[in-house]
Amino acid sequence: MSEVIVITSGKGGVGKTTTTANLGVGLAIRGKKVVLIDTDTGLRNLDLLLGLERRIVYTLVDVVQKRVNYGQALVRHKKYTNLFLLPTSQVADKTAIEPAQMLELVEAMKSEFDYILIDCPAGIEQGYETAVIGADWAIVVTMPEISAVRDADKIIGRLQASNKKIKLVVNRIRPQMVKDGTMLDMTSIDDILSVECIGQVPDDEKVVDSANRGVPVVEWKDSAAGDAYRDIVGRVCGEEIPFKPFETEGFWTRLKHVFGR
Amino acid sequence: MSGEIVKLKGSRVGLQLVFKPGVDFEEIRDDIQRKLEEGSRFFRRGTVIQIAPGILSEENEGILRKLFHQHGVLFRVEEPMEAPLPQPKETPKKGAPPPPEEKEEKPAEVPKAVPVAEEPQMLVINRTVRGGQEIKTQGSVMICGNVNPGAQIIAGGSIDVRGTCKGMVHAGAYGDITAVVVADRLMPTQIRIADRIAQSPEKMEKPTVAERASIKDGKIVIEPIERQEIRA
Repeated sequence: MSEVIVITSGKGGVGKTTTTANLGVGLAIRGKKVVLIDTDTGLRNLDLLLGLERRIVYTLVDVVQKRVNYGQALVRHKKYTNLFLLPTSQVADKTAIEPAQMLELVEAMKSEFDYILIDCPAGIEQGYETAVIGADWAIVVTMPEISAVRDADKIIGRLQASNKKIKLVVNRIRPQMVKDGTMLDMTSIDDILSVECIGQVPDDEKVVDSANRGVPVVEWKDSAAGDAYRDIVGRVCGEEIPFKPFETEGFWTRLKHVFGR
Repeated sequence: MSGEIVKLKGSRVGLQLVFKPGVDFEEIRDDIQRKLEEGSRFFRRGTVIQIAPGILSEENEGILRKLFHQHGVLFRVEEPMEAPLPQPKETPKKGAPPPPEEKEEKPAEVPKAVPVAEEPQMLVINRTVRGGQEIKTQGSVMICGNVNPGAQIIAGGSIDVRGTCKGMVHAGAYGDITAVVVADRLMPTQIRIADRIAQSPEKMEKPTVAERASIKDGKIVIEPIERQEIRA
C-alpha cells in the first residue's frame, strides 16, 4: 500500500521543501521505503537540503521525456538507503512536465515505494497542477502570518475542489510572539482554514544550519523543530500524538539575553 | 378566517394564498403590503406563494407579483399541485394520459407571464467558500459554512451566511435595493448592496450575535438580529 502525498502551500518560503525533506528522512528512519520528488523545476532545492546535489545525474525532466527510466534518475540517500530523491532539472522550466506525464510516473512508482512525497513549487500555475495531480492527499504548509494563511486558504479551496484530503502543518511559530499576542495563534488560523492540523513547528535557527549542512533537523536530537517534525512523521503514519505546549522564554533566558548583548 | 383578509394555507410546494370572500382587491393588496413591510414571519424571503388561477384578473396578479418580488418572495399563479412543478408544455400533445390535459392547460400559460430571469431562486452552498473562490447567482444564496477573506459572493437577491463572513459580499447585484446580507458573524471586508458599498472598519471585533445589513435611507446599515445558529 503506497501513499502519495503532495506538500504544497501557495506562498513561497513557508517551508514546503524543508517539510518534505524532514518528513522523508523521518519516514525513512522508521524503515519505510520513501521517494521524494522535487517538482520545483528551475528552482530546485530539495537536493540541497538532503545534501545530495553532487550525486544528481538525470532529472525528472529526463524521466518524463522518456530519455531514461525513473530508476536511473533516482538518487539514493547517503545514510538512509531506503530513501530516494527524484530531482528535477535546474535549467528547464515548469512547462517541461505535463500533469498527465507526472500522473503516469507516479502510478508507475506506486508499486515500489511505501511513501511518495511530492514537493510542490510555490504558486498556482502549471507547476502546481503537475505536482498535485497524482497525490492521494495533501499537506498544506503555512506560517502564522496573514499572507501565508490567505494563500493556504486559496490552495485548500482548489484542493477540495479536486477532492483531495488535506492536513495542515503550521511552520515557523514563534511561541513568545504568540504569547505576547503579536503573532497569529492556532485558534485564529483554524478559524479561517478549518482543516486538520498535523504539525506545529516552532521557528528554530537550527533549521537554517541544517539546510547548510544538508542534514534535516528531524535527525537532530536537540532541536525543537526536529521534535515537531518527528511528531508529524508519527501522525502521518497514523499515530495519535498529542501536541506539546511550546517552551516560551522564561525569566532566566530573558535575563541572559539582556546581559548577553 | 375571522378578521384576516389574507391567509396562507400550506401546500407541498409553498404556501397557498387564500382571500376572505367578498373583499375587493385594493383591501387585499394593502393588507399584503402591510404584512410585507412589517417584515412579519408571515412572508419570509425565498418563500413560494401560490394562488390558484382565475381568482384574480391578470392585471391584479401582476400587481401582487411585483409587490412580492420587491420583498424577495416568489409568487406563482398555478393550481395547487401534489406533484413537482410545471410540466413541459408539449406533454399533452405527445399523448400523455388524457384526463389531466384540462388541468395542465392553465399552468402552462403561466411561464409566459413570469419571465425566467425575473424568477429568483435560492442557491445553497454547503461548504466554506475560500479565498479566490466566487459564487455568483441570479437569485438569493445561503452559505452553510464560512466566507473566507478573499472570497466573493455575488447574488441578485439576498445573502445568508450560516457561519463567519469575512469575504466580499454583494447582494442585490442587479439593482434590488431591498436585498439584505445576513451572517452569524458578519465581518466582511466589504458589503455591497445594489449600487452601495460599505467598507469594514479598520479594527473589527468579532460580533457575538447574528447581524443583518440592509439599505436604509440610502445607506447600508448593520443591525443585530436574533436567530439560532446552525453549528457545523
